[in-house]
Amino acid sequence: MQLFVNIIVLASIYALIACGYVMIYRVSRVLNLAHGELMMLGAYLLLATASLFSGHAAMALGAAVALSLVVGLLVYVFLMRKMTGEMVLAAILTTVALGILIRGLVVLLWSAQQQYPAQALGVPNPSLVIGNARISLWSAVLVLTNAAVYGGLFVFLRFGRWGIRMRAAGQNPLLAAQRGIKLHSVYALAWSLSTLTGALAGILMALDSGLTTSLPVIGLKAFPAALVGGLDSLAGALVGALIVAAAEVLLIYYVDPLLSDVVPFLVLIAMLIVRPWGLFGTREELDRV
Amino acid sequence: MLKRTLLGAIAVCTVAVPAIAQDAYVVGLTGALTGPPSSTYAPAVDALRIYIDRVNAGGGVNGKKIQLILEDDGAQPSKAAANTKKLITQDNAVLVINASLSSTYAPMIAETKAAGVPLLFASGVCPQSVYPPADPLQFCTTGYASHFDSQATLDFVKATAKGPVKIGFAAMAIPLSRGEMDYAQDLSKTMGMTPVDEQVIPPPTADYTPFATKLKDTGPNWVYSWAPWVTQVRTLEALRKLDWQDDYIAWGHLEAESELARLKDGKFFVVNANALFQEGLPIQKEIEDAAKKAGSKYPAQTMTEGWIGGMAIEAALKGAGWPADAAKVRAAMENLKIDTKGLRGGPIEWNKDNHFRTRLYYRVYKWDGGKIARVQDWKTYDVK
Repeated sequence: MQLFVNIIVLASIYALIACGYVMIYRVSRVLNLAHGELMMLGAYLLLATASLFSGHAAMALGAAVALSLVVGLLVYVFLMRKMTGEMVLAAILTTVALGILIRGLVVLLWSAQQQYPAQALGVPNPSLVIGNARISLWSAVLVLTNAAVYGGLFVFLRFGRWGIRMRAAGQNPLLAAQRGIKLHSVYALAWSLSTLTGALAGILMALDSGLTTSLPVIGLKAFPAALVGGLDSLAGALVGALIVAAAEVLLIYYVDPLLSDVVPFLVLIAMLIVRPWGLFGTREELDRV
Repeated sequence: MLKRTLLGAIAVCTVAVPAIAQDAYVVGLTGALTGPPSSTYAPAVDALRIYIDRVNAGGGVNGKKIQLILEDDGAQPSKAAANTKKLITQDNAVLVINASLSSTYAPMIAETKAAGVPLLFASGVCPQSVYPPADPLQFCTTGYASHFDSQATLDFVKATAKGPVKIGFAAMAIPLSRGEMDYAQDLSKTMGMTPVDEQVIPPPTADYTPFATKLKDTGPNWVYSWAPWVTQVRTLEALRKLDWQDDYIAWGHLEAESELARLKDGKFFVVNANALFQEGLPIQKEIEDAAKKAGSKYPAQTMTEGWIGGMAIEAALKGAGWPADAAKVRAAMENLKIDTKGLRGGPIEWNKDNHFRTRLYYRVYKWDGGKIARVQDWKTYDVK
């Protein structure tokens, strides 16, 4: 039972992060290599709002989430918008530069020390009992948040007006633009939502076990989950995260803990050999990559 | 007119800067000021900088200022090598300091050896090459020492445990930490303990619970971790989330003091080579005041290692006299006694064969009823 809970928690972490990679790629074909850094920035923003709204945890959390949304919007407006029409590689390299900038800024503003947003907010993290297994409160919140995010995105993309526009822009931007869809607005929305979901992952992980500047590396570890599922499929990201997390947790327990570091990439290589476009990805998307 | 004045000023500065540099002891430092492991190194570097600034404000050493040049290597070996080369060839440093991850040691050692410049490890774990018989160019002030730390830790566990010890180990997946935990496992067997499991945890890890689950299920009544702080403390917290309530002992890094207070865990022990600030020593008050005055963003409790590094630099330059070159500084370091004023259990003494210290001192602390308590006073180990 504990192993099952461990798999669900790890899968939720990877899925929540992978969701951001998929959102941007699906809409704009850009691989956002600063996603891990944006996730970290979201968590550090919580640290800032925690001191700003001392004693009001809900307000601090809400403000951090709102700020993350704004950060995503600003990244698009002031940086990625300029890349529209340029080579995809140029846009990807821009995200690399953005990542370096964020890493430097975070150390300058908050120092390199380990931080504890939960302590700053004064919120506890008790261990909850589920059958004969245990899960921390913030891990449980992360699992539920992940479910809510994917459920919400499913409804939004399938039935929402802007969701349908996002899908249209992703499938054929030229045609979408000719039909009157404002591509810049759609891309800005995708960047905002992607940064928001990444920030949620960063915030909840930081509330559970603290915050360091190494968070972007975890962002990269979630990348194989997105690729395994198919880089243009949200359902794929969910399934990919579950596969990678299950392989990782089971190998730690039954074989060797050291394998956990390479497992996501082993699963990815296996998938690239068998089905290079991922479980739910489309062959056409791979050709474009 | 303005253009001419500016050009003149630039010309004066171009001539003046090397003159100032030549009139000061040039000490170069490359450290992990940014990057994932920087939380361990950046506070030490800041403390060292504050110490040197204080020395300079007080008139310097032998009437000369110390020019401390800081370079960031982000814990990357290639960057550390490039920084070292620059510090030696461009800045003419008479002493190079390492404040970075152990993976930067080899390239820095190669560069300093080629130039004959002494290398001081002032923040990362001391390499074996400073133990007797020491490499002529390498020196170390850092508190932690492989093998000795595990010996001291397991001695404490043996003395404290009330029954048979089933011990688990948690390492970070880096060579030094894994090597130390392997050594500790072997040592524990010779001391009559039963090693049950060793978890080697990659840095960084999204969730420590899967590792803790495996560790817990092997049934240890003690767990020992000698790894960067993040691995030590997150493994402990994951074990506690799984309702494992036995004893956990770890190395007391810079963060130990604030973390003991945060966790308030009566069964969490930290083994320290440095005195914690709760001792209230006059030197600790001095560090607190200096950190506050300098506006450091790091707490004073995290500054002991850097402060001791600064003490060593000051003592070495004092011994080298003026004018100093790398050879004179190295010669001075080979015969040095640094009074740590209570920050350690005794002085740091270097001689021709031993660039580590002749005697090690360990204290053990834990959280006890609302405050940090010392549960074992300085215990000494001779280094031969």
